[in-house]
Amino acid sequence: MNKGAKRGLAVYAVFVYAFLHVPLLILAVFSFNSSRFSVWQGFSLQWYRAVAADPNLIEASLNSLLIAIAATVAATILGTLAAYGLWKRSSAWLSGSMYLSLVTPEIVTGVSLLALFQWIFRFAHLRLGMHTVILAHVGFSLAYVVVVVLARLRGFDRTLEEAALDLGATEFGAFWRVTLPYLAPAIAAAAMLAFTVSIDDYVITSLVAGVDSQTLPMVIYAMARRGVNPALNAVSTLVVFGLGMLIMLSERFRKA
Amino acid sequence: MRLRNAFLAPTAILMAVTMLAPLAIIVVYSLLTRGAYGGVELPWTLENFTRLWDPVYGVIFVRSFWIAAVSTALCLILGFPLAMFIARSGPRKNLYLSLVILPFWTSFLIRTYAWMFLLRDTGIVNSALQGLGIIREPLALLYNDGVVILGLVYGFLPFMVLPLYATLERLDPSLLEAAADLGARPRDTLVRVTLPLCAPGIRAGAILVFVPCLGTYLTSDLLGGSKTVLIGNLVQNQFTASRDWPFGAALSLALMAIAMILLFAARRRGEELL
Amino acid sequence: MNRRTFLIGAAAAVACGRAARLNVFNWSDYVSPDTIPNFEREFGIRVRYGTYESVPEMLAKVMSGNSGWDVIFPSAEYIQPMRDMGLLARLRHDWLPNLSMLDRQFQKPPWDPGLDWSVPYMHGATGIVYQKSLGWTPRAWSDLWDARLAGKLTMLDDPPEVFAACLKTLGYSLNSADPGELKAAQQRAIAQKPLVRAYLNAEVRDQLVAGDVSAAQAWAVTAAQAIAAAPEKLAFAFPSEGFPRYADNVAILRESSRQEAAHHFIAYLLRPQVAAAIVETTHTAACNGAAQAFLPEALRSDPVLYPPADILARGEWFAPQSAAGQRLRDRLWTEIKT
Repeated sequence: MNKGAKRGLAVYAVFVYAFLHVPLLILAVFSFNSSRFSVWQGFSLQWYRAVAADPNLIEASLNSLLIAIAATVAATILGTLAAYGLWKRSSAWLSGSMYLSLVTPEIVTGVSLLALFQWIFRFAHLRLGMHTVILAHVGFSLAYVVVVVLARLRGFDRTLEEAALDLGATEFGAFWRVTLPYLAPAIAAAAMLAFTVSIDDYVITSLVAGVDSQTLPMVIYAMARRGVNPALNAVSTLVVFGLGMLIMLSERFRKA
Repeated sequence: MRLRNAFLAPTAILMAVTMLAPLAIIVVYSLLTRGAYGGVELPWTLENFTRLWDPVYGVIFVRSFWIAAVSTALCLILGFPLAMFIARSGPRKNLYLSLVILPFWTSFLIRTYAWMFLLRDTGIVNSALQGLGIIREPLALLYNDGVVILGLVYGFLPFMVLPLYATLERLDPSLLEAAADLGARPRDTLVRVTLPLCAPGIRAGAILVFVPCLGTYLTSDLLGGSKTVLIGNLVQNQFTASRDWPFGAALSLALMAIAMILLFAARRRGEELL
Repeated sequence: MNRRTFLIGAAAAVACGRAARLNVFNWSDYVSPDTIPNFEREFGIRVRYGTYESVPEMLAKVMSGNSGWDVIFPSAEYIQPMRDMGLLARLRHDWLPNLSMLDRQFQKPPWDPGLDWSVPYMHGATGIVYQKSLGWTPRAWSDLWDARLAGKLTMLDDPPEVFAACLKTLGYSLNSADPGELKAAQQRAIAQKPLVRAYLNAEVRDQLVAGDVSAAQAWAVTAAQAIAAAPEKLAFAFPSEGFPRYADNVAILRESSRQEAAHHFIAYLLRPQVAAAIVETTHTAACNGAAQAFLPEALRSDPVLYPPADILARGEWFAPQSAAGQRLRDRLWTEIKT
């Protein structure tokens, strides 16, 4: 690629990044607004104090993070394995159900999962709670992982694995040493997507959550009924800032 | 092959529990009668499906598919060069990739309110244009189909960029150089080498954008001002305000069937499903 | 719960470890910040407080009878349906000595005249918020068909509310299930649509304050918040044809195994000082008449939250819709939006 095209690409990328980040900037700015309304009045930290004083908001944020991390780890591992399995030999009903899980409207997934759980709970002494939320999240984020990882596997040269097997590697050894490293970028991308769909889900979560598992989106949607409160901007800013710092730090560590 | 089966087993079980069993429930619901205040009751009936044959719902389906298709195309146009840029940025690519996804770790609702603030009559965009003397009266930027599509493109862009990145990343730069050395113009390289090689990524991205777009309801409520309904709204309403679960189940089965047919039709002959 | 369920996931274990004693499921922002802590301290009962966005959402969860919630806050028109479904526990009036604190109009509410299943909590109405700079004053729902409002008018994104406004301009009951009346109301809504900027609920608040919207069909709570932020610009009208009134009630689920604690909680909410503190934070209107005395003058005489009795007499309560009526309304609403 020549220099001009490269520069063009960079300029284009800057524009797209701006498109993605402008709303983020706006909400961060308004988290420091002294007015309750989205009309700028002056600088204030009152909404951050409001967050610190609201145990429900803090607990919901922690629940959300916990659920998203658990669901991401589980969905990424299972999804990667499944993508590999499907790549080895396709399975019509499994790929079909992946498609279906993407196609199902959220409310339908939520209502039917709720019905299923409640039916099961009649026989087992269980209640809705974190476990049902995490199970539901793993379920709906799996398809995202499989689709992304499989897309990369489609470009993988089967002979590389065969060569490893010829050289005496076990089937699992070939997967672990040869295929998995090749998949790393796709796995990272898939994990990010899984985390994103999990941390932001409202419809399904609100239906399968129990007494102990209110998440941040649930609190936010419930609040929106009364008109949003800039404390929510403050929480969002804190979450993004915290996770952003985490990413920066992990980059530093990797380089060091 | 034993390894393959072992790898697939946990996912198969999970899909059976979180996808197929609920699907069976939905099929059952769609064949029952609505309860007076939500839920379902006997007797069995096919009426929920016969109700679908109504031009009103046809119009809504076509509109929803059209909006999802336009949004997917725009996501591709915006996302492809960005994915290419990230894939080529060497040691920084993980950082750049995270920057794509970072805004989406805030709540959807809060992000959308930020857009509303930008675009409303007294918002930043209109104030800036008025300040510059470009317009006198504020433009009606909110509450139309265009802004719904903007919201969808914004919301689903990462779902296009990430799979694209995952396939573009493996694209060997030496292949492109080889093409250039052999005298191919950059555009030819793109069309003949790059695009075919990342076709699986484009397809994966298109699926991950198009399909969820079909089911969304909040974007059209908030940015479109609820002036029109999409299928997502229609389904959502049946399970909430209208309390007609069986019809909601039938509607969503219809949506799922049409989307599945489209997905099957979109793949080329002999190609794998995913 | 046996030991194994604790191990379903580390997360579940953490969540289950904090044993809650009373689980309260309520609308967001519907108590004051110290309501719950004070109750916990006084009664030694730990409260888990969850919020929901809509009654159907709450209903979907409690319908199974093993949701884990104890106290809920359904809207008036859902009391009878929930009772019919066997979801509500009969209230023990001997545990609620202070029911007499309720305002007289809520001692015998039409949806539960004996207060057997529910205790009225907060109430409000739907009306019109408008910019004083408009140059004229919308006084009736029919004024929302005025072409001068084109592009500057919002209606609620709530089918019963929009139907209510349309039905009222035609002189019908807002609970009408008559196909002819509903069809006529639908025609009114379709005629109005070109003027409508958007169908918005609480989001209209900021746009009223910023001046993007000239007139809006709005809930009194939203209106009161907007007017408090820009009293010089905004005003509220109770439409002359009549308007919807709504009330949220507190009730106990039959599945609850903590009936006594739940009654303590309701009795606590009925205390005038507690109710007044809630009103001060939430800017809603309490059904607790005795709370009035503890409210600051500005709030007590707020014409939006506490209008005089002759205005309130024009209001009409929402009633539950039959399945057929609901279905017709849903169909007509879909057509309005297509």
